[in-house]
Amino acid sequence: MSKKVMQVHRRRFLKTALSAGAAVMAPQIIPSSALGRDGAVAPSERIVLGGIGIGNRGTYDLGCFLDQRDVQFVAVCDVKAVRRNAVKKMVDQKYGNQNCGMYRDFRELLDRTDIDAVLIATGPNWHATAAINAAKAGKDMYCEKPCTKNIAQSLTLAETMRRTGRVFQAGTQRRSLPHFAFACELARTGKLGKLKTVYAHPAGMTATMSGWLAAEQEPPKDVVDWDMYLGPAAWRPFNAKLLDGFNFEKGGGLVGGGVLEWGSHCVDLCQWAVGADNTSPVEYNPPKDGRLVARYASGVELVIRETGWLPLGSCPVRFEGETGWVEAGDSGKLVLSSPELLAGRSVAEIDGYPATFHVRNFLDCVKSRSQPKANAEAACYAHIACHAANIAISLGRKLAYDPMKHEFIGDEQANRLRSEALREPWRL
Amino acid sequence: MYKTRFWTHCVALLAALILLAGGSTQAGEDQNASKEKERALIEVLRSASPAEKATACKQLAIHGSKEAVPELARLLADEQLASWARIALEAIPDPAADEALRNATHSLKGRLLIGAINSIGVRRDANAVDQLTGHLKDQDSEVASASAVALGRVGNAAATKTLRQSLAGAAGAVRTAVAEGCILCAERLIAEGKLSEAAEIYDEVRRTDVPRQKILEATRGAILARKSDGIPLLIEQLRSSDHGLFQIGLSTARELAGREVADALATELARTTPQRAALLLYALADRRESVVPPAVVEAAKSGPKEVRIAAIGFVGRLGDASSLSTLLAIATEADAELAQTAKTALAGLPGEKVNTEIVARLPGAEGKTLGVLIELVGQRRIDATVALVKAVDHPDAAIRSAALTALGATVGPKELSVLVSPVVAPKNPGDVEVAGRALRAACIRMPDREACAAELVAAMPRASVSTKSNLLEILGAMGGPKALETIGAAVKGSDAELQDTGSRLLGEWMTVDAAPVLLDLAKNPPSDKYQVRAMRGYIRLARQFSMSDRQRAEMCQNALEASNRIAEQKLVLAVLERYPNADTLKVAVKATEVPALKEDAARVTLAIIQKLGGKSADAQELLAKIGLDPVKVEIIKAEYGAGTTQRDVTEALQRYVRDLPLITLPSPSYNDSFGGDPAPGATKQLKVRYRINGKAGDASFAENAFIMLPMPK
Repeated sequence: MSKKVMQVHRRRFLKTALSAGAAVMAPQIIPSSALGRDGAVAPSERIVLGGIGIGNRGTYDLGCFLDQRDVQFVAVCDVKAVRRNAVKKMVDQKYGNQNCGMYRDFRELLDRTDIDAVLIATGPNWHATAAINAAKAGKDMYCEKPCTKNIAQSLTLAETMRRTGRVFQAGTQRRSLPHFAFACELARTGKLGKLKTVYAHPAGMTATMSGWLAAEQEPPKDVVDWDMYLGPAAWRPFNAKLLDGFNFEKGGGLVGGGVLEWGSHCVDLCQWAVGADNTSPVEYNPPKDGRLVARYASGVELVIRETGWLPLGSCPVRFEGETGWVEAGDSGKLVLSSPELLAGRSVAEIDGYPATFHVRNFLDCVKSRSQPKANAEAACYAHIACHAANIAISLGRKLAYDPMKHEFIGDEQANRLRSEALREPWRL
Repeated sequence: MYKTRFWTHCVALLAALILLAGGSTQAGEDQNASKEKERALIEVLRSASPAEKATACKQLAIHGSKEAVPELARLLADEQLASWARIALEAIPDPAADEALRNATHSLKGRLLIGAINSIGVRRDANAVDQLTGHLKDQDSEVASASAVALGRVGNAAATKTLRQSLAGAAGAVRTAVAEGCILCAERLIAEGKLSEAAEIYDEVRRTDVPRQKILEATRGAILARKSDGIPLLIEQLRSSDHGLFQIGLSTARELAGREVADALATELARTTPQRAALLLYALADRRESVVPPAVVEAAKSGPKEVRIAAIGFVGRLGDASSLSTLLAIATEADAELAQTAKTALAGLPGEKVNTEIVARLPGAEGKTLGVLIELVGQRRIDATVALVKAVDHPDAAIRSAALTALGATVGPKELSVLVSPVVAPKNPGDVEVAGRALRAACIRMPDREACAAELVAAMPRASVSTKSNLLEILGAMGGPKALETIGAAVKGSDAELQDTGSRLLGEWMTVDAAPVLLDLAKNPPSDKYQVRAMRGYIRLARQFSMSDRQRAEMCQNALEASNRIAEQKLVLAVLERYPNADTLKVAVKATEVPALKEDAARVTLAIIQKLGGKSADAQELLAKIGLDPVKVEIIKAEYGAGTTQRDVTEALQRYVRDLPLITLPSPSYNDSFGGDPAPGATKQLKVRYRINGKAGDASFAENAFIMLPMPK
C-alpha cells in the first residue's frame, strides 16, 4: 500500500475519531498519558503482529494496523513469493529497516514466541484452519471474513477461542461503524417497536464452486507453494486459474459461496440487530423471486434480498419493527421512518466502511482480554445463518434448524452438509 | 466381453454425468432418486477420470450409503483422491464408513494415515479406541499426534484413560497433542457434570511439561471446573509474574460466575500494580455485577491515572445516582483526559434518578460544573428547557454554547423558536454556528416535520442570504412537502447562492416526490448551469428509487424528451436497461428514433428483450421496428483470458444465447459469469467464434464489455 493511502487512513481515522464525539466510541485502553511525548509507545507496550496471507484486502487491513502506534509488525507469511516480498517492502519502508521476516509456512511464523497476534487475510479456504492453529499456538487474531467454510467449522472456531482464551476479531468491520451500530441498537432495544423483519443484502445468491481443472506446470515451491495454497481443501492439480484465493473454495467445497460473501457482513448485522449473537434462525426457505426468507424462533424474519434497497451504498441492511424502521448502507447514512428515533443523538457518518475502528477495538481487547465486537461467538452464529441459507439454496427446499443441537430437523442430507473433511494432514 | 463392459461403463458414466449436471438435490426428491444417483456415482468411481471421481465423491457426501463405502474406501490409499473420498466417508452416517476408516489405519502410512485418523476423530468412532491407542506409539510423531487428538474427540472413558496414562510419558510434540486430547476429554466431562474428574485432568496437564498455551488452557479449565472453589487458583493467576497466566486469569475472571468472584477481584485491586488494576477493572466491568464496590469508587477518585480511567468507566457502566457527585467532581478536574472520561461515564450512567438529580443541581451550579450539567442535559435528553433557555443568555460563551447544543437535543416543537432566534437574529454573533447546528439537530428529530418546516420558512424573510442558505440546508436534511416546495421556490428565485444550494439539495433528495420539481427545473432552469444538475437529479430518482414500472418508464421518457445532451440521454438508457420490463422496452424502442442515440438504444432494446425472454409478446414486432429480425446464433468456440492463459467458456456462453446477436450474461462481470478470474491482474479478452444464420464470424470483447456479435459479412 502506498504511503499516500496510508496517510489517508490515518487522517480519516483521526478526523472521524474527533468528529464522532457524540457517537459511541470504544475507549482506548492505553490513556494518552501512557504515550511518550512524541506519541510513541514503549516497545514493551507494543503488540507484536504477524501477517498470514496478505493480499489485496490484507494489505488494506495491514495499513490500518500500521497506523496504530502500539503495533509492531514483524513477519509475513504467504504461499506466494510476490506477496511476501511486497509486504516486506511495505513494512520495512514503514519502519526504515530490513527486519520484516518472511515465511512460506504459517506454522513457522506461529512458532515465533515474540509474536502476540496475527492478521489472517488468506483466502476463505484457509481462514478457520489458520485461525484455529493460531489460537492453539497462543496467538490472538484478526481474521478476515468469511471466517468459516461450513457450520462445523463455525462451531469449532468459537469453541477453540473459548478453550484457548484467545482474542478473536472477525473482519466484519461494519460492527465498529457508528451508523450501523446505531441502527442495530434501535432494533435491539425495541425503539422500532416489536421487531418484525430484518433485511440483508447478499451480493448474489449463486454458489461458486472451485473444481478440478486440467493440470498445468506447477511453479517452484518458493514461487507458489501449491500444497500450502490448497491446505485443507481437497487435492487437485496445479492450475493457475485456481490461484484466485478470494474465490477459491469460498463458502465450502460442498455448497459454494451463495450468500456468504456479503452475508458475513449484512446477515451478521441483522443478527446483532435481532440480539442473536448466540443463536441463529430456525427456518430457512430457498430463494423465491430474489428473496430468501429465514425465521428466528422469536418469529422475526430475516430476508436476504438483492433488490428493493434505498440508495445508501453497498452492503445495506434494513430493520423493520411494528412502529418504525431504519435502513443503513456503506454511504455512512441512515434513513429512519421517523426523525424521533434519533432522540437528539447525532450519529457520525463514515462512508467507505473503513476497518480502522475495528482494528482499534481488536487491539484494545488484546490488552484488556475483553471480547471484541465481532468476537468468535457472534461470528460463529452469523456464519451458521449464512451456511444454513446456502444449504437451503443448494438443496432447494425448506429447512428447519435447531440452534441448540446444531442439527437440521428431519433432513439427513442437510445434516451431511454441515461439515466437510479437511485434506490430510490438516485438522481443526 | 471387454466391449460389453466398456459400453456398460460408458452408459453408466453418461448417466452419472447427466445426473450430476442436474445439479444438487431437488425439492421433494425421494429416496429412490437418491439411490439411483448413488448407483451412478459409484459407477463413476469405478471407471472415470480422477477429476470426475473427485466430483462424484462430493456428491456421495449427500447421496452415499454403505453401498458406496467399498469404492470410497479404495480411494483412501490414493494420494490424489483420498481427501475427496474422506469428504464422503465423513458424511455417510452408516457404521460401514467407520469400519472402512478403521480398516484403512492398518495399511496406510504417513499423511494418508493421518487423514484417516482425523476422520475417525471427526466421526467420534468409539470402536476405534484400540487402533488409535496403538497409533499413539507410532514412530511417526504426526501420526501419533493425530491419534491423540482423535482420542480426545472420541472422549469416552476408555479414550480418556488412555490419554491420561500417556500424558507424562509421551515424547515431545506428541505430548502436546496428548495434552490437547486430555483437555477435550475434560471438557466432555464438564458437559456431563463430572467436574472433579475434569479438574483432575486439567491439573495433570498443568503439571506436565507441555507448551505454555496448553498450560494456559488447562489452567482456565481447572478454575472453571472448580466453580467458586476455583477462586484461589484464579487469584494466583492474577498475581502471577507470567504475563500469559495473568492474561488467562483476566479472561477466566469474566467467565467464572458468582458474586464472590467479583468480591475477590475487587479486593485484589489494592494489591496489584496500577496497570494490572486497570485491566482488572475492565474485567470486573465486563461481568456486569449490579453493584460498584467501594474500592472501585475510591480508585476512580484518586491514584494512578490509568487505574482512575478504568474505574471511572466502570462506575459509568454500573453506577447509579449515588455516583453522580464523584463523577461530576472528576469531570471538572484540570486533566482533560480524566474530565472527558468522567463526562462520558456521566452520559451513560444508568437510572432515571440520575436525571432528576442533574435537574435539581442546575439552579445552584456555576462555572465548570454548570457547563458539565448542561452538557449532560443534552446528552441524556433530559427535559430542562427553562433552565437551558436561561443559560442561552449566560455571559460565559462556553455556557451559552453548551446550552444551545443541549437545546438542540431536547427542545420540543413549541419551544423551537428559542433556537431559531439565535440563528436568524443573533444577540451574540459568535453563537451563530453552534445555534445553527443545534437547530438542525432539533429540526431533524421533530415529529411534526411540516409544522417545523413552516416555522423555518416563516423565519426566512428576517434572515440574511447566507442564513437563508443554512435554513435551506436544514430543510433539505428534514425532507417533506413543505421543505421541497420551499427549496424548489428558492431555486426558481433570483438569488444565485440560494439557487446553488437549492439545486444541490434537490439533486440529493431522498424521496421520489422531488421528481416533478426537478423536471420542471430541468425544463425551465434559472440558468443553464442548473439544467444538467436538475436533469441528473431527476434521472437519479428513476435509477435508484422504488416505483412502479409505468412511473419509471414515464420518467425515463420525460428525461429523454427534456434532455438536450447525449450524456444524460445515455444515463436514461442505462436506467432502462437496469429495469427490463414491457414499459421500459417501449421507451427504449422509441429512443432508437433519436439519430444520435440509435445505436445505444438498439443495444438496450435488445438487452431488455433478451432479459425478458418469452415474456415480451411483441418482441418480434419491436425488433422489426428497430430494424432487426430474429437470427440463429451458434457459438462455436469461446475463450476468456489473457495471453496463453485462456479458459474455455464455450459451454457457458452457449447457455446464454437467444435469437439475437446480443448475449447478456447473468452478471456484468465476466469473472463472475465464467467461474472466476482466469488471469488475475492481467488485461483479459473474450474471443468468440460464432455463426449467425449460418455465416461464420469472429469477435473479441474487452473484459466486461457488452457482447454484441457483429453480423458476419
